[in-house]
This record gives sequence, structure tokens and C-alpha cells, in this order.
Amino acid sequence: MADRYSFSLTTFSPSGKLVQIEYALNAVNQGVTSLGIKATNGIVLATEKKSSSPLIDASSSSKVSLITPNIGMVYSGMGPDYRVLVDKARKVSHTGYKRIYNEYPPTRILVQDVARVMQEATQSGGVRPYGVSLLIAGWDDGIEPETAAEEAAAPDAEKKRATGKTGGVLKGGPSLYQVDPSGSYFPWKATAIGKSATSAKTFLEKRYTEGLELEDAVHIALLTLKETIEGEMNGDTVEIGIVGPPADHLMGYEGVEGAQGPRFRKLSPQEIEDYLTNL
Amino acid sequence: MSSPFSINGGACVAMVGKDCVAIACDLRLGLQALTVSNNFPKIFNYGDVYLGLTGLATDVSTVAETMRYKVNMYRLREERQISPQTMANLVSSSLYERRFGPWFVSPVIAGINHTTGKPFICGFDSIGCIDFAKDFIVSGTASDQLFGTCEGLWEPDLGPEDLFETVSQALLNAVDRDALSGWGAHVYIIEKDKVTKRLLKGRQD
Amino acid sequence: MDSLVAQYSRPAFSNEGYQEQEQQELADVAPPLSLKFALPPVAQQAAWLRAMTDDHSNPEVPIKIAHGTTTLAFRFQGGIIVATDSRATAGNWIASQTVKKVIEINSCLLGTMAGGAADCQYWLAYLGMQCRLHELRHKKRISVAAASKILANLVYSYKGMGLSMGTMCAGVTPQEGPALYYIDSDGTRLSGNLFCVGSGQTFAYGVLDAEYSYDLSEEDALELGRRSILAATHRDAFSGGYINLYHVKEDGWVKHGFNDTNPIFWKTKLEKGEFSNVTADLE
Repeated sequence: MADRYSFSLTTFSPSGKLVQIEYALNAVNQGVTSLGIKATNGIVLATEKKSSSPLIDASSSSKVSLITPNIGMVYSGMGPDYRVLVDKARKVSHTGYKRIYNEYPPTRILVQDVARVMQEATQSGGVRPYGVSLLIAGWDDGIEPETAAEEAAAPDAEKKRATGKTGGVLKGGPSLYQVDPSGSYFPWKATAIGKSATSAKTFLEKRYTEGLELEDAVHIALLTLKETIEGEMNGDTVEIGIVGPPADHLMGYEGVEGAQGPRFRKLSPQEIEDYLTNL
Repeated sequence: MSSPFSINGGACVAMVGKDCVAIACDLRLGLQALTVSNNFPKIFNYGDVYLGLTGLATDVSTVAETMRYKVNMYRLREERQISPQTMANLVSSSLYERRFGPWFVSPVIAGINHTTGKPFICGFDSIGCIDFAKDFIVSGTASDQLFGTCEGLWEPDLGPEDLFETVSQALLNAVDRDALSGWGAHVYIIEKDKVTKRLLKGRQD
Repeated sequence: MDSLVAQYSRPAFSNEGYQEQEQQELADVAPPLSLKFALPPVAQQAAWLRAMTDDHSNPEVPIKIAHGTTTLAFRFQGGIIVATDSRATAGNWIASQTVKKVIEINSCLLGTMAGGAADCQYWLAYLGMQCRLHELRHKKRISVAAASKILANLVYSYKGMGLSMGTMCAGVTPQEGPALYYIDSDGTRLSGNLFCVGSGQTFAYGVLDAEYSYDLSEEDALELGRRSILAATHRDAFSGGYINLYHVKEDGWVKHGFNDTNPIFWKTKLEKGEFSNVTADLE
């Protein structure tokens, strides 16, 4: 009798649905809107930072988080669940990768690891699914899409290179993923999650163009957010994280050959204000 | 004499050349003085990376197969070949996992990084300390002799053919002064898009 | 004058047997050097020396002695074949590939060397000296039996002090014919038709026992000696280098070369199809 309670709480309904996961998605869809846009030279993650009271010290809470120096994350849904996932993502990027290979995981690998954590919560005993959807943005070192296209187009390009599922080299450049409470994940050029996801996505579909630069992407992100935001828009109510060129000034040291600063960083309220004035 | 590292005997050497690397091993498998086999290669291939393993033969086989499993899993997960540098760190962390009951092996890695096109070699102690070298790495019961021959024969920027001659002479002359190594050798010359494997007919005593 | 001549001249080889007095003299060849060695200033000298030099029981001994060998000798209708390898090792280190392990005691007597190189070299040289003294004293060559016994008694007097030798004495004398003795540092002294000594002895015995017959022709006997050493150098890590071949006949020994095993090995493999275990091609 006692072990009945160790069964998974996420149980199939007769119609084949996992209603707990749908409830979790409902929680996400009540959450504050977040969005991400991939540019050729980077990615922007943006969200609204809502405070229930003017007495809240907004500068001390944060919704956009760094996972590895080149990967960042934002969410819609339940804040406490998100913080747990941030901790787990940071931990797994070390235990499952850096401690083994002495390098940080590529974005897709980190996304899969986080997605596994979320999937396990849909099949394990005594737990509920995470009430968040995530946007994970990262930059990978390797052959960037343009270079790869050029090489493929080049006449008599070498065909000897092992390719396919078990060959080839790391495909580099920016990538943007969404991860849902079910553990499914999707790669996007641009997307939004949360309360106004649908309208925001419609907006993004209109504004998104191929070959976007990071600066333009930040601009579009703020425009999209403006459509959905309820309160005032300023440096304290909007949070932006970007994946861009290596920020060597954030390394804390200099003079080491080959050392590279983090590509992911959060924009300061002042930087956001600057973008907003140009809107 | 009864150190696990010198029960079975064996030698391995890796060298850097100009846009190429070489890795070579002997073929002996012994039980102390008794030569059991003269066809026991100690170099294993993992895509772009070559791993040489000397030491206790049972551990040589086990580590080679364990690494095969790990690299296959890596390749399936990441949809790409493992680079020599990443492989080096994987070998290192795998060895350190056995810090208090080590594999009795002295690994050597050689390969060309396909992203940078640069040659890479390194060696390890049995618990995973990496020895990055710009010139050569030696391991096995003839390592003292190999240090001597390599210091004497190696020079920078050798082309593939000269590197083959250098690594072969270094190995052959070293194992001829070691009772537990020799009985033939394998030599790999690794260039960016070409690998040449050769058998050396060494002394059979 | 006559008495002086009578005293100092004796027809050579007039008497092949030993008289009682002569036998006593042989036994009295107490080694004048034997007690002049500096011994370690410890209470248990023998045990201490053994502990310091026996690398079989303790590989980390402070005094490393060169070891590892294959030597063989066998009697056959045409005399005695003596063959050895030429490798000297100290631990796994190959100290030399050109050691002469056959010691030419005199024109009719050969000794072989296995175990401690210095012990063998020193005491076989000493044996050569004793044999020469015997010859001068008695105006006739020493018998192999007597020579081997000098050595056996000598090593016995140092028993337990770390001497390490496994040696064979081969010679032909008129009274004995072809004679072969095995002597080791334990004090063992055996006469026999066929001996193999050293770390590669088992491999040599394998070939030798399979093909040996007393009625072998000289050519076949030499080839068998060579082939037995070759087999041992192949399988035994501590044997190798060159094959040293001797044939001891009635009128003295004949050397049949000091040849590198490598060309002999490949010739044996490629021409006779032996050693098929060795790969000559990739894969």
C-alpha cells in the first residue's frame, strides 16, 4: 500500500494524454512572456521583469541566467522551478561534460541534458513536472554555418571527410532552443514562450528576416516585448541576455594567449535604456 | 621485475613532424622472459585519434575497449569525431577515476586536429596526468632507451617520409636494448587526409 | 746431473692414470686466492651477500648482476658440440649483445658461461690457470673430470655467498674420450651427454631433445646446436644476439663462427618455413 505513493504521479489518462504535463504547460502559459531571436553573429534572450510591489528591489532578482560562459537561459512559468533547473544545468554541464572533456558542452548537448532532467520529472516517483519552459541560447566553436555553406559550394570540395551521424566536425555558431516541461526541445530561429507567446510569435514572424545582425535582433526583441508588456518599459522592467562576440573584459584578467571571455552576458539596465531610447 | 608495468613488456613512441604525426609500437607480448606472442599491437584507432597503450596487457586491452565504448558514445551523442585534444582529456579523466586502483598502462595519443589542422601528441602516467609535448612522447619498458634515441634523432619540421625513418629508427634501436620489447613493430604516419601504416621487421630475439 | 735429469724429465703421456700421490695433489689445489677476497664486514656474511645479490627473490637488490643466457653442449659420435647465445642483461636492460660465453680454457677444454658474468669469467680463467699448472706439474693435460672437479670444489667452498654460475666443461682427452660435465654454484657436478643451461634452457632442450641422437653427423650436430640456440633466442627475452658455435674434437676444439641471429632467423623462417608464428606481412 505504501509503495502506491512511489508510483509516478504523471500517469496516462485513458485517452493517452499525460494531463500533469498539460497542467504544467498551463502554468507556463500563465507565466511572463520571454522570447529569443537568433542572429547571424549572436542571439538575444529577453523577458519582462514584473514586480508585484514597488517596494521590491528589482536589481537583486534575475530571470536570465548564465549556464556556461557561452550559454544562457531564460524561462516562462514558475520561478522556483526555474532556479532549480538553472542549478542542475550548471551542475550537469560540469559533471557530465567539463570534468570529463575539460571543455564546456556544446549547446545541443546541454539542452539534451536539461531536457533529460525535465523528462525524468514526468516519469519518476514522488515528483511533479517542472512548471517552466526554457529558452536556451548558446554559441559553439566550430565550423560556422556560412563557412560550411561556402565549403560545400566550392568546386571539387573534398568528399572524403567522414560525415553523417558519427562523423564530421562540430558545427559552430549560434543556436537557440526551447525546452518544455515534457522534456521535448525544439531549435528556433526566433520564438516566444509564456502568456503572450502566440501573439509574440506572430509578431516575430513578421519582423524576422534571414541574415539578421545581433543589434537588429535586440531591437526586434524590444519591439516584440513592447507589444505584450503590461507595465512601463525601462532598464529595470526588461531583462536582456545576449550571446555575442567574446566579452574579454569580463574575464577578470588579461595577457593569457588564447584565453577567451564569455560570449553570454546580460545587458545592464543602462544598456537596455540606451536601446529603448533608440526604439 | 614483477612490476605490473613490466610483466608483459612493450614500447610505444609518438613524434610530431611538419603537418604530420607519427606513432609506433612494438609487437611483443611476453610473460616475464617468455615471449608468448609476436603479434600484439599496442596502437588503437578512434577516428582521427590514435591511442598507444603499453603496460599490463590485460589492462591494455580493457582500456582500449573502454575507450572504444566511450568514444563511440561521444560520436553518437555529438554527431562528430572526437578531436585529439578532447580525447586526451577523456583519457585523463577516465584514468583518474581509478586513482586508487589504477590501470597499469602508460597511454600515448597522436593525431591531427581536423578543425585547426595542427598535429597533436601527448602522454599520460597511469592515473591520468597529461604530458603535453611539442616533440615526442615515449612509453613502455624501453622508455629510457626511447628517450635516448628520440633525443638523438628527432628534429623539428620533419616531413612524413623523414618522420617515418626517424620514428622507426628510434623505436627499433631502443627495443634492441630492451629484453622485453621488440619482435616487430607497427608504424603509423598520420597526415591531414592520409594515414600510412607500415610493419617493421625487427629482430626476433 | 743424471739425478737432476731424471728428476725433471719424464716421457710425456707415459702414464695416463693417476697415482695416489698425484690424486692427493689434485685435491690439494687449494685455491690460494680463495681466502683473499674482502668479505662484507657483517656477522652473517653469506646471508648478507645472498640478500644483496639475488635478484630473483628481490628485484630491487642493490647489487645487480648480469644474468640471462642460453648455453648448450652435447656429446655425439664426432665429439662435443658447444653452442651459446651472446646476450648479457641487467634487469631488462640489454647490457651487451656480443658476449663470448664460451671460454677457451685451453686448446682442448671449453667452458660455458651462464649466471653471473663476472663469476664465470673469473673462475673459468682461474680454472684455466689451474689446468695449465697441472700440465706443467704433470707434463700431461688434465682430464675433464679433474678440471671440472677443481671448479666444483672451488664454488662449493663459497657456497651460500652469492656466487651465481651454471657452467659446462667440455673436452676430449685420450683417457676419457669426449667428456662433458655440468657444474653450478650450488656445487652440483654432473657428467652427461646433453645439457642446456640458462634462462633459455627449456627452449633449447625442446629442440635438442626432439632431434638429438648420438649418431648425428658432424654437419647435422652443428646445425642442431645452432637451431636449438636460435629457438631459445626467439622465445627467451634474456637470450639473443649472436650464436657462438664450437666443436670439440680429439685434437682440440674448432670454432664454427660467431654469427648474428637475425639473418639466421629470417633465413630459417623464409627458406625452411619454420617460425610461422612470426608475421611478415601487415594483417
